[in-house]
Amino acid sequence: MRNTLLTLATLGIAVLGLYLLTQAEGSSGLLSAITLIFIWGIAAISLNLINGQLGILSLGHHGFMLIGGYVTALLMLPERERAPFRTRLLSDWARDHLDLDKWLRALGLDYVANSVDLKFVIALFLAGIAAAIVGVIVGAPSLRLKGDYLAIVTFGFGEIIRLLPNAPEVAAFTNGPLGIKGIPGNAGGVWWTFFAFLFVLWFLSRLKFSSYGRAFEGIREDEIAAEAMGVNLAYHKVLAFTISAFFAGVAGGLYASYLQSVDTQTFNFFVTFFLLVAISLGGLGSITGAVLGTAIVVLVRIYGGFLEEAYPAYVGYTGAALLMLGAFAFSAYIRKARRLRPVIETKHYIFGALGLGLLLVAFLFRGEPWMTQTVQFFGMRKILLAVILILIMIYRREGIMGRAEFSWKLVFGPREDIPTEEQRKQDAWLSNPDLNPDLQKEDDDASA
Amino acid sequence: MPLLELRNLYKAFGGLQAISNVSLTVNEGEIVSIIGPNGAGKSTLFNLITGVYRPDRGDILFQGERINGLTPDQVTKKGIARTFQNLRLFTHLTVLENILIPQHHRLKSSWLAAVLRTPTYLKEEEEMRKTALEKLSFFGPRLMSFRLHQPVYVLSYANRRRTEMARAMATDAKLLLLDEPSAGMNPKETKEITQIIRRFRDEGGYTIVLVEHKMNLVGEISDRVVVLDYGEKIAEGDYKDVVNDPKVIEAYLGRREE
Repeated sequence: MRNTLLTLATLGIAVLGLYLLTQAEGSSGLLSAITLIFIWGIAAISLNLINGQLGILSLGHHGFMLIGGYVTALLMLPERERAPFRTRLLSDWARDHLDLDKWLRALGLDYVANSVDLKFVIALFLAGIAAAIVGVIVGAPSLRLKGDYLAIVTFGFGEIIRLLPNAPEVAAFTNGPLGIKGIPGNAGGVWWTFFAFLFVLWFLSRLKFSSYGRAFEGIREDEIAAEAMGVNLAYHKVLAFTISAFFAGVAGGLYASYLQSVDTQTFNFFVTFFLLVAISLGGLGSITGAVLGTAIVVLVRIYGGFLEEAYPAYVGYTGAALLMLGAFAFSAYIRKARRLRPVIETKHYIFGALGLGLLLVAFLFRGEPWMTQTVQFFGMRKILLAVILILIMIYRREGIMGRAEFSWKLVFGPREDIPTEEQRKQDAWLSNPDLNPDLQKEDDDASA
Repeated sequence: MPLLELRNLYKAFGGLQAISNVSLTVNEGEIVSIIGPNGAGKSTLFNLITGVYRPDRGDILFQGERINGLTPDQVTKKGIARTFQNLRLFTHLTVLENILIPQHHRLKSSWLAAVLRTPTYLKEEEEMRKTALEKLSFFGPRLMSFRLHQPVYVLSYANRRRTEMARAMATDAKLLLLDEPSAGMNPKETKEITQIIRRFRDEGGYTIVLVEHKMNLVGEISDRVVVLDYGEKIAEGDYKDVVNDPKVIEAYLGRREE
């Protein structure tokens, strides 16, 4: 009861916050960041279903997203945007018949066809279905493999799917490398992505905490034991793969609508790569973690721009020196806090001194010409992400959330896994012969 | 009709004849122990019965039905469950989850019904939880309160053994195959396990086949003992007769040079 109220309150605050943001001026940057977090969040949660919950490394997620993107694009494309395709690769048949608008009007559902939003929902659903069908086709044969082999096979399938739109036979539906432009973008506004995100969150967390979700996690923990306990491996693997592909297709459709265009470069391998970074940061197997990781990755990519601007050289030197000092302080803290040999070694002090020296140099020679010329570091955002990833892997390998999920119980209790004072006493009585005369007798029997 | 019947089973790994011409019947309500020196083929026999391996020749019948060639999950659905020699629990899941997963194959609701939490699914889930607690109560109250929600990796070794046995019971099996149930336990815990195995049969109504190295445990609970050596059955019968059989003594200790 309390938890439901808290959830509703949080939802209300989120909706209100989003509403105020859409009304506020100059918030378009932040809004597009939030939209991207929702879109990539959906993709990350769906990848997390295979990689985190089922424990199978799949690298073909961009392929499913691409399918979703193209299907949405083709179905949603308005009439006037279709006209230019007459001279291009897209076949007349695809141009004239693969049109959700026409389908709906043929079915007599004019009121649906008149609403871009409703059409968008239907297109997203069909995009998910298309991706799910391909998911079954790809998954059923390749999921017999295990570990690295499966990863390579899924990567191969992902790349095949990505390059297919360029093939002449398929280009009749996809317009080849030129891609499709002019997808109605207003349907991809923040509200639709927000509700799609909430739906995916609800659906996949319900799945996770159901008997099927437990079976997936059993397969992750120990395939042999799961099979011996009656879990049908092939069925559950293909099921998870298909559900994951469905939501990847939905995310792809949302992204295509956000960009208002789609081509084969939109969904290259780096998409899967960034999703993998996001879920590894947040914690493999945790839905909360996947969202958190996505937020970090997207925010660094969007708001990390200042790292790549041109600065006088002394700013760079000072930054490097401060980083070195920070690293020294951090390692000194870690060293002091550890139980075994809590000493700071000479090499740490030397590193710290070097940092201090660099800071001094930067301060003393700040007027010199070689210090005031501007330098620019391209790719600092990606380096920052890489550094964050390295730090997480060293100090918290299971990711920020680990396998845990956020829940109100975790914050406010009651925690069922922590014994109450009464339970602790009872447990001690069960196992400690000094407290329990019955156990004393048993001990004597056993040794006799 | 015997519950489990093995007829002239053969299994070879390359040139190694791991099981050759083994026949065995297990009747309902029996406790049968399989003993033998290391490499005698005891675990291979378990793997053949549970469908991990497929026999080269011969038949495995469970309740009169041929089950060789079935996958492990299908065998489990027929009513045979096993424990593993070196524990194979779902380490990062809680005790309760570990005992709910083996009941998953009985679930009738589809995955969509599970996501939508239909009343039928909720009822099934409730029953699964009840069954889990019922199976755990076999091992006394120590796994029943807060440990139910703790991940398995924080448990002691003996508690993990208990969890694994409860997990096998939760599959709703008639026949339990226990692979060294007392491995790594102290005398007191071994004694408790002995009592539990006996209660499995008397109160739970299970038939039990176990592989075990601790002879006092085997002698205390077995109705019948089967001895394997180099993949062949060299003796079968009462514990006292078997351990005094010259062939068995030879298999374990070797022949005295005259």
